[in-house]
Amino acid sequence: MTMESNLAPTIYDQEPERRSPPLLEIGVLAWMRQNLFKTWIDTLVTVVAFLVGISVITAVITWAVRDANWYVIIYNLRLFFVGRYPVSEEWRVWAALLLFAFTGGAAWAAWARASRRAVIAAVVIVVASFIIPTVIVQTIPLPYAYFAAGNIPVTSGSSTQTPQPQVTFIGAAGETVMIRVAQGYETDDVALSGLNSFADDVTNLLRANAQTRLTNDQRAVEINAALAGDLLTAGQRQRLERELSRLTSLPPVTETYAVNQAPVDVRVLRASTFEPVGEASLTLNGGELIVTLPETGWYILEKLAADGAESVTVLQTRGLYPLFERNLIRSQQVDAAGNITAAAGRVNQYVRMSDGVTIEEVRPRIDGTDLPFNGIINNQLRGQSDAAGYARLFLAPLLQQISIPALLIGIAVTAGFGFSRLADRLAPHPILPRGTSRRNAAWLIVAAPIIAIVLIYGLGGNVLPVTETSLWGGLLLTLFLTITGITLSFPLGVLLALGRRSSLPIVSLICTVYIEFVRGVPLITVLFISQLLIPLVDPRLAEFPNVFRATIAVILFSAAYLAENVRGGLQSIPKGQVEAARALGLPGWRITWSITLPQALRAVIPALVGQFISLYKDTSLVAIVGLTDLTGIAENVYAQTEYIGLRREGLLFIAVIYFVVSFSMATLSRRIERSGAGVLRRARL
Amino acid sequence: MTTNGHAPDQPIIECRNVNKWYGEFHALRDVSLSVQPSEVVVIIGPSGSGKSTLIRCINQLETHQEGTIIVDGIDVGQNSANIAAVRSEVGMVFQQFNLFPHLSVLDNITLGPREVRHVRRAIAERKGLELLERVGIPEKAHQFPGQLSGGQQQRVAIARALAMEPKILLFDEPTSALDPEMIKEVLDVMRELAGTGITMLVVTHEMGFAREVADRVLFFDQGRLVEEGTPEVLFARNLKHHPRTDAFLMNLL
Repeated sequence: MTMESNLAPTIYDQEPERRSPPLLEIGVLAWMRQNLFKTWIDTLVTVVAFLVGISVITAVITWAVRDANWYVIIYNLRLFFVGRYPVSEEWRVWAALLLFAFTGGAAWAAWARASRRAVIAAVVIVVASFIIPTVIVQTIPLPYAYFAAGNIPVTSGSSTQTPQPQVTFIGAAGETVMIRVAQGYETDDVALSGLNSFADDVTNLLRANAQTRLTNDQRAVEINAALAGDLLTAGQRQRLERELSRLTSLPPVTETYAVNQAPVDVRVLRASTFEPVGEASLTLNGGELIVTLPETGWYILEKLAADGAESVTVLQTRGLYPLFERNLIRSQQVDAAGNITAAAGRVNQYVRMSDGVTIEEVRPRIDGTDLPFNGIINNQLRGQSDAAGYARLFLAPLLQQISIPALLIGIAVTAGFGFSRLADRLAPHPILPRGTSRRNAAWLIVAAPIIAIVLIYGLGGNVLPVTETSLWGGLLLTLFLTITGITLSFPLGVLLALGRRSSLPIVSLICTVYIEFVRGVPLITVLFISQLLIPLVDPRLAEFPNVFRATIAVILFSAAYLAENVRGGLQSIPKGQVEAARALGLPGWRITWSITLPQALRAVIPALVGQFISLYKDTSLVAIVGLTDLTGIAENVYAQTEYIGLRREGLLFIAVIYFVVSFSMATLSRRIERSGAGVLRRARL
Repeated sequence: MTTNGHAPDQPIIECRNVNKWYGEFHALRDVSLSVQPSEVVVIIGPSGSGKSTLIRCINQLETHQEGTIIVDGIDVGQNSANIAAVRSEVGMVFQQFNLFPHLSVLDNITLGPREVRHVRRAIAERKGLELLERVGIPEKAHQFPGQLSGGQQQRVAIARALAMEPKILLFDEPTSALDPEMIKEVLDVMRELAGTGITMLVVTHEMGFAREVADRVLFFDQGRLVEEGTPEVLFARNLKHHPRTDAFLMNLL
């Protein structure tokens, strides 16, 4: 510094060059360093969370794609989605669904931006749901199914398992059935014990018996030794001799059964005539029975051990696929000419799980007894968990079922989008660029739930007969409870919130007592009150359908919580807003309606949506009062004998549905919030 | 400006012995004053002196407990029907603007005329655009308050008050929440308004504005009217003032 610095300002005219930040300060590395590994505690948490996350995800996915038995879902999809809603009226559910899709498309075009990514994703999903199952079906053969043939009754404890010499199956004309002795099971205990159904039971019981007999042998040796000595009393001696004589009367020990060693005679019979279509004697090292089926219908596989030795043979088959039986209630079928083609009533259908081939013929019977069929699809995968077989058995049928709905929904969303764009082009709003479509979409959003409920409930008459609400079920019922719950509890909650803040003490007191009472009582109690106590007040109320009573309970419950959320919003509005409105001379109700309420609601969107989401999830409680919502249907499904043990699959499936809807609601709420006053500011209608 | 049926010498605002308490705190003590039509009155005084309270009592955002306030011939303390009538004749501009953030600028301005005066939307909007033109921001009509600067917001707030075609405008420290460079644009609008003959009652700390525009300046302290006079008189250094006025004016410089 020189003397001059005292007389003039110091000037720094050497400009440092602009450069990029150091590598560790930007990008992924910096983010990781700052957020995941900042201190040793962060590092520990990161590593532990990562490991736990990986192991949980791996476990779930492994189970879902290797061990889970998804046929419980695939063959009950209708139940999960609409419950027992009448088949002939199902179009109404579809119409409602497509209306919502259309509304969604219209709203999207009105408020959001066209997202190329979303469009591409939707198209990919729809196309994939058509292509993937076709490719899978074309390229991957159905996995083998396994059956056991044996010639001995197997006793274990109190139950006797007699090998069934006959198994029935459905075949389509021209299909080929192949039967041979399964390779590898004669030495592989793990694979053998993995076999399900009859083969599984038989092999397990045989082995258990062998174990018992070995124990018996050991016991006989001990008794003989004791009897040889002279330490026993007469009574003890007598008892041991009795036991010994029982043990020696049992068949001699065979340490292992000769699995797959005995030849088996197999025949395939047409069930309608009992005439054989093909027969062969199969051994471990030789022979396959290959039969081409002449017609579609029931067939019988007969399998008998050829010689007299005790034996079990595992048969590997292709073309004998598991079936399930379903009972439908069908309304009367009338053809175009007005003739009744089928009477109303119960119909028994048999569906082939692997590809959905369905027949309604009566099951084959011998001596008045229905012949068994293979009802467990996993029988095709036991002993050989196989990703390809898994895709063929579960993925393809699932995708086949969603492909058409996905396409229709895609078309409806696109139509809604186009409708909005067209409306803006044909009748542009004088000021706002998307004013017309926003007004339309707002109306659609209000109208769609009302139309949907009218459609689904019915109006009476021939076109829309009133449906029995006790038949509603699954996601349909869950969404009905949610949508009516939200649309009716919301205004009620707003009124309660305004009432609680009212300057009239009586109104305020009533609202406060109501809110605090309901918030102090569990929903399940309110539901039971609506189901059990209300009819005591007046017996005529018991005739009011359960579904509506539950809906009212949900509405009354949710309104109390919404009221508190809205009250929070009202409290957050600065006093100046009301003062400014009052200074303009606006009347009190107008200030609430136009100034405080719109701002208060916007301020508490996250809390409101949170309440809506919890209402949606809470509807699962109606299962406890006997309604078959999504949870109730799941309970009903895996209570059926053929689905026993498949509870996890059902639970995971409904969990996914609950999650998808909740997550969509949360995402929508985040978008509305993020748009702030900019996009969702009061639309000028 | 005509006074719509009042004798020219009858005051448009008259306060007689107004008393107000917040709990135990005596906020206004025996305040009596009158404002003539078309008069521009500036109220100055330290914080907590009751100047804001007084103008908030005039349109009954606060209620007074004793005394009489007569606005445009209506006793505002009487009943709520009177209050509504008075409020539509008295526009108010707030320190914090208090624009409605969820409504566009134009909707902020047209809300009052449409809901209180039942003016048709198209007419109200044409009027609203004219007012925006007058306060110098016609291009902001379709924006939202949050997108405007403080000075622009306050100008919208003035336009909103004017949209009701009030006889009286109350300003409650309209520039106190503004950055220095925005104060000028607001004061310019107020200066322009003062020339149109509307009655204005302005609470402010802008002594320059008071000196230049006010017909009369009132000095409030501790809830009472301490001194009043034309700006030339009240701000004059060489005249004898109440000691509190002297102290206040000293502190300003």
